[in-house]
Amino acid sequence: MNKPSPNSNKSMRQAFGETLLTLARTNHNIYVVSMDLASSLSIDKFSAEFPDRFIECGITESHAASFAAGLAKTGKTVFLCSFACFSPAINWAQIRQSICENELNVKIVGSHAGLLSGRLGASHQMLEDIALMRTLPKMEVFAPLDANEIETMLPLITASSSPSYIRLVRPDTPTFSQPNFQIGKANILQTGSKITIIGYGPVLFEAFKIENAEIINCSSIKPLDEKTIIESVKKTKNLLIIEDHQKNCGLGEAIASLILNQKIDCQFRHIAIDNQFGQSGDPADLYKFYGLDLCTI
Amino acid sequence: MLRLDLLNLIYKNGGHIGGCLSALDIIDTLYDGQSFNFDQDHFVLSAGHLAAALYVVLAKIGKIDKKLLDTYSCFGSPLQGHVSHRVPGVEYSSGSLGQGLSFATGLALGDSSHYSVCLTSDGEHQEGQIWEAATFANKYKLKNLINIISANGLQIDGKIEKIMPLGSLSEKYIQFGWNTITIDGHNQDEIKKAIELAKKSNQPTCIFAKTIMGKGISYMENNFQYHDVKSLSQDLYEQAVAELK
Repeated sequence: MNKPSPNSNKSMRQAFGETLLTLARTNHNIYVVSMDLASSLSIDKFSAEFPDRFIECGITESHAASFAAGLAKTGKTVFLCSFACFSPAINWAQIRQSICENELNVKIVGSHAGLLSGRLGASHQMLEDIALMRTLPKMEVFAPLDANEIETMLPLITASSSPSYIRLVRPDTPTFSQPNFQIGKANILQTGSKITIIGYGPVLFEAFKIENAEIINCSSIKPLDEKTIIESVKKTKNLLIIEDHQKNCGLGEAIASLILNQKIDCQFRHIAIDNQFGQSGDPADLYKFYGLDLCTI
Repeated sequence: MLRLDLLNLIYKNGGHIGGCLSALDIIDTLYDGQSFNFDQDHFVLSAGHLAAALYVVLAKIGKIDKKLLDTYSCFGSPLQGHVSHRVPGVEYSSGSLGQGLSFATGLALGDSSHYSVCLTSDGEHQEGQIWEAATFANKYKLKNLINIISANGLQIDGKIEKIMPLGSLSEKYIQFGWNTITIDGHNQDEIKKAIELAKKSNQPTCIFAKTIMGKGISYMENNFQYHDVKSLSQDLYEQAVAELK
């Protein structure tokens, strides 16, 4: 595919709100649990159109997660919506017990993940969400590449009965996904032979700077598409994982474990935030400072 | 008889006998088939360490095989140490305190045509999430929600008053917009009457049930060291059996 143009920037959050609203018009089981961030998550239109299925909990992330579980127990598909630095950060214990241990159908939507939260600074640049969610039994973890992928992803996630986590970012970001999202499937965005670059979310846009790279969108982080990853790495023997997340316990470590278990001989590099917090700044400056702009490769 | 079942279960496998003996009369009353139909109504045991008390009641009403009680918390048993939704008749797995009341609000809002009954402990009210749930229940006027507090005044390390005083929970619930009823949690007539009053309320109801840690076994009563027992000597076991018979 051709390198996408930055002009194609779109809001993931808006795509989420609009897609969910469309789904809710025919699926009357969809409920939204808000924690005082309805406009930020673009679920205010849902609130206006379906006030009985929009539950406003206020700033109570712990309660909201357990409440969402109870609501799901009555057969609803519940979307628990906040910023990632609050949910799943504050309410991890509730997600663990009330949702996962009880095997309930709650979709946790965490926006403002990663350094892309920009000027909001370290508190809001959630860099540990994938780690927190990957480790939970039953939990599926998704990080859409762009706004378009949310449109194809959300109907499938809604149809699944598993609890899941969906990672969104704050700014409008380039659209370069392909409309073929499947749970447990990674997509090759560009074929290449010199290096395999795997990532999720808008940071993967940086991979197009590298020549002859095979670029894999791993928006389904858990379940992980081991087959696509292994085939590509066996071909290129050179692997780079990039993520706007802590190195610790992110996608990179998941894939490193896979590569070791499969005894695949390859060069392995992992570019991510290395055991530190973010800081205020514009996303481009932050990506450059933390090495995510791939200019050093 | 239920107390003896509970004692035997704990004697064999250990467990949280003190709080179980506090809450047993409440759980027994809830499941007497008169106040609720838990095939439709909902019961959430928020204080998940009181699992054994629920299991002996479920065995009494035939939801689970009484023989299973001997396997409590053993490897491979469905009767997990803390209450598990994999046991027939149990809706919610818990063990981490403070979450059950929120879960019960979800059941109450999602299934407004049935009652959602939650059993919490007084010590559990040190968890801030309880008060988030209490605020929420008032906002959404969950009149089909009942929170019964088994209030024995003790927690693992001693008296609530010493570890983290909670003041008057009844008054707090009133402040949070709840209907509140105070009863003797070992008097089944009072428990039944309180439930009937709660059902008529247009607000969520808190039944503050005063209970006694270790109720029915003299050396355990009001003794926080019997919050959880790993083993009981033959002598103490026999004394307890004699007192319960």
